[in-house]
Amino acid sequence: MKIAIPHSLLYYYYFPLWDTFFKELGFEVVDTGPTTKDILDKGSKAAVADICAPIKIFTGHVIEGLEKADYVFVPRFARIKKPEYFCPKFMGLPDIIEGTVEKSKGRVISPIINEKNNENISSPRGYEILIDMFGFSHREIRLAIKRAEEVFERFKSLMHSGLSCDKALNSYRTGRWEEDLGKVKKDGDVTIAVLGYVYDVYDSFISMDVVKKLETLGVNIKTFEMVPQEVAYESLKHYRKRLFWTFSNRVLGAGLYYLKDPDVDGIIHVTAFGCGPDAIVGRFLQFESDVAGKPFTTLRVDEHTGEGHMVTRIEAFVDMLRRKKWAKLSEVL
Amino acid sequence: MKVSFPYMGSAIVYKKLFEFLEHEVIMPPKPTQRTMDLGVKYSPEFACIPLKMVMGTYLEAIEKGAKVLVTSGGHGPCRAGFYGDTHRNILKSLGYDDIELIIFDAPQDSWRAFFRNVQKIRNGVPWHKVINRMYTLYRFVQKLDELEKMVQKIRPYEVNKGQTTQVWNQIQERFDKIKTRKELYKVYEECKQLLFSIPTRKVDEKDRIRVGIVGEIYVVMESSINFGIEEILGNLGVEVERSLYLFEWINDNLVPWILRPKRFKEIIKKGQRYIKILIGGHAVETVGHIIDFKERGFDGIVHLMPFACLPELVTQSLIPKISKEVDIPILSLPIDEQTGKANMLTRIEAFIDLLKNRKRGKTKEVFIDNIQEHVQEERVVMV
Repeated sequence: MKIAIPHSLLYYYYFPLWDTFFKELGFEVVDTGPTTKDILDKGSKAAVADICAPIKIFTGHVIEGLEKADYVFVPRFARIKKPEYFCPKFMGLPDIIEGTVEKSKGRVISPIINEKNNENISSPRGYEILIDMFGFSHREIRLAIKRAEEVFERFKSLMHSGLSCDKALNSYRTGRWEEDLGKVKKDGDVTIAVLGYVYDVYDSFISMDVVKKLETLGVNIKTFEMVPQEVAYESLKHYRKRLFWTFSNRVLGAGLYYLKDPDVDGIIHVTAFGCGPDAIVGRFLQFESDVAGKPFTTLRVDEHTGEGHMVTRIEAFVDMLRRKKWAKLSEVL
Repeated sequence: MKVSFPYMGSAIVYKKLFEFLEHEVIMPPKPTQRTMDLGVKYSPEFACIPLKMVMGTYLEAIEKGAKVLVTSGGHGPCRAGFYGDTHRNILKSLGYDDIELIIFDAPQDSWRAFFRNVQKIRNGVPWHKVINRMYTLYRFVQKLDELEKMVQKIRPYEVNKGQTTQVWNQIQERFDKIKTRKELYKVYEECKQLLFSIPTRKVDEKDRIRVGIVGEIYVVMESSINFGIEEILGNLGVEVERSLYLFEWINDNLVPWILRPKRFKEIIKKGQRYIKILIGGHAVETVGHIIDFKERGFDGIVHLMPFACLPELVTQSLIPKISKEVDIPILSLPIDEQTGKANMLTRIEAFIDLLKNRKRGKTKEVFIDNIQEHVQEERVVMV
C-alpha cells in the first residue's frame, strides 16, 4: 500500500516521525516532493480564493499525492498542548480537503492529533483510525509509534543543537545525523533570527529560500525550532494569557528569547498573506522589538510574491544591521 | 465609572446592562466610515474587520469621555479571543494609559479573574438587585429579539416603503426608556400592536422568498458593517432570519450547559456532519444553521464572514459541497474595509433573482391573508 505524505504544512516538522511510523507498519511512503509551480496551480484552483497560501499549497500536494499513491495522509491537528489549539484551518483540514478536492473521499487518512501535552504526537490513541481502516492490531500501532518517537526525539535534538528544520530533515534523509552539526554556519558577522512557521520559512515556493539567501549574504541564522518548547514558554511568562495556537506561542516565545540574546542583531518575521494568528503574533513581536530596541522587519509572502523585491528587502535589512554594528564598534574603539 | 463598550447589534441592550449597574454610560457612536478609518489606521493590517471596527469604536468612545471599556474575551482558537489584549496593546502605544479595558474571558479559564471583573463591573450594587435586574435584562433581550424577528417578517410585505424600519426605530427608542420588568411587558405588547398595524400586501406562497443569514457573529449582528443586509433583503421583498440573535447567544453561551436549549445541541450535531470537531468561532454552527434553514424550508442562504476569518474559511471551503448535497443556494460574502456597497448590492440582487427563478419551478398556492397569524405561528418555534 502506498501512502503519500504531502510535502507541506507540518511535514517539515513531523516528517521523520510519520515516515518511520508508516514504514514500520509496512506502508510504502511517497513524499510529494518540494512545491512546484504545477502543485501550486492545482492547489490554487481547487482551494477557496481567500485562504492563505500554505493551505492552497497543501491542497495541491494532496491532489498530487492522490495521483501518486493509494492514500493521502491529512492529519487533523487539534492540539498538542492544553489549553492551546492549532489554527482553525488545521483543525478543519480534512474537512477542507473533503470540500475542495474531488475524489478524495475514502482515500484520506486523517488521524486526530489531540494531545494534552505531548509535542511528539505519539499517543497511539490518535492513530486508532488505522486499526479500523486496515486492521492493524493495537500492539502494532503502539510499537510503530514508539519507534517513530525515538527517531523524532533524535531529530528534535539536532534542531535544538542549532540545525534548522530543513537541514535536520536532510540529515534524517541521508542518515548522517550528528555529523551534519559541524556544518552549521557560525562565522557570519551578523546574526538574524528568522521567525515563522516551518511551512512558510522552508517552503522554497513561499519564502523563496530566504534562509539560504541570507546565508549567502554571510548571515548566521537562528530559528524558532532551535529553541526548545520549555524555553520558549518560559519567555512568555509575563503575558496575562498565552496565545491560543501552540506554534504561534513557540514563534513568539522564541522571538522574546532571541530579543534577550546579545548575539542576535535583528529579527525577520516571515508570514503568509492572510495568516490569521500572525496578525497577532506580528503585532506582539513588533511591539516587543521596539521595547528591546532591536531591528525588526516583516516579510509577507504569498503565491504571487516576486523574488526581486524580496532580495532587495533582505539585502537592505542586512546592510542596515551591519552598519549599525560597525557604528557601535567604532564608538567603542 | 464612565463605561463604554463595542457596538454589536442592538447596543441598547449593553447600555441597559450598565445602566442597571448604575454606571455612567458613554454610548459609543454607531460605527461609520470614520470609525472604520480610525480602526484601520491603528490595527494590524491582517486582523479581521471586527477587530478594526471595534478599535475604531473604542477610540471614538474615548473621545466622548469613556474611561472604562468592557468587552468579551474568548477561549477558542479563533483570534477574537485575543482582541482585548491586542486593543490594550494598541491603546497603550497610543498613549492612553488611563483607559481601563475590562476583558471578560470564559469563566472556566480563570474563575478568579472572572469574579474580579464581575466585582469591578458590579459597582457596589447589592447582589439581590443585580440578580433581579439581570433577569429583567434577560427578558428585555428576549422581547427585543422577538420584535426584531417580526420586523424581518413584515418588512418585505409592507405597503409603504420604509415604514417598518421607521417603526423599528421607534420601538428601539421606546425600549431604551424602559426601567422595570412590568414596563417592559407593557411596552412589548404596544410595540407588537404597532407592528401589526403596518399595512401589508397579500403575497402568494410561490412568490415568498425566505433567506437565512449565517456566519461570523460580528458581521452577522452588526448592521453598520454588513451594510444593513437585512434591510436590503427586506426591501427586495425577502423574509430574513439570522442564525444568531443576542437572546439565543446568551442562552447558548452564558446559561449553564444543562439548561441550554436542545436546539443549540441539535444545530451543533447537524454542523458536525461536515466539520467533525468544534474548531472555534462559529464555523460548526454556521454549517448547522445552513442545514437547519434548509430543513425549515428556506430558499437560500447568505453567508457573511470577515475577510480571512480563520474558522469561516473552513466553512467557505465546504460551501460548494454543502450547497450541492443539501440542495440550497448559498451566497458567501467576505467583508473587509475594501468591500463596496454597490458591489455587494449587485451580488445580492442577482442572488435573489436566482432564488425567485428557482422558486417559480415549484408552485404551491397558499395566500397569507393575515400577517399577524403568519408571524405569530413562526414565533413559537423560537421560544
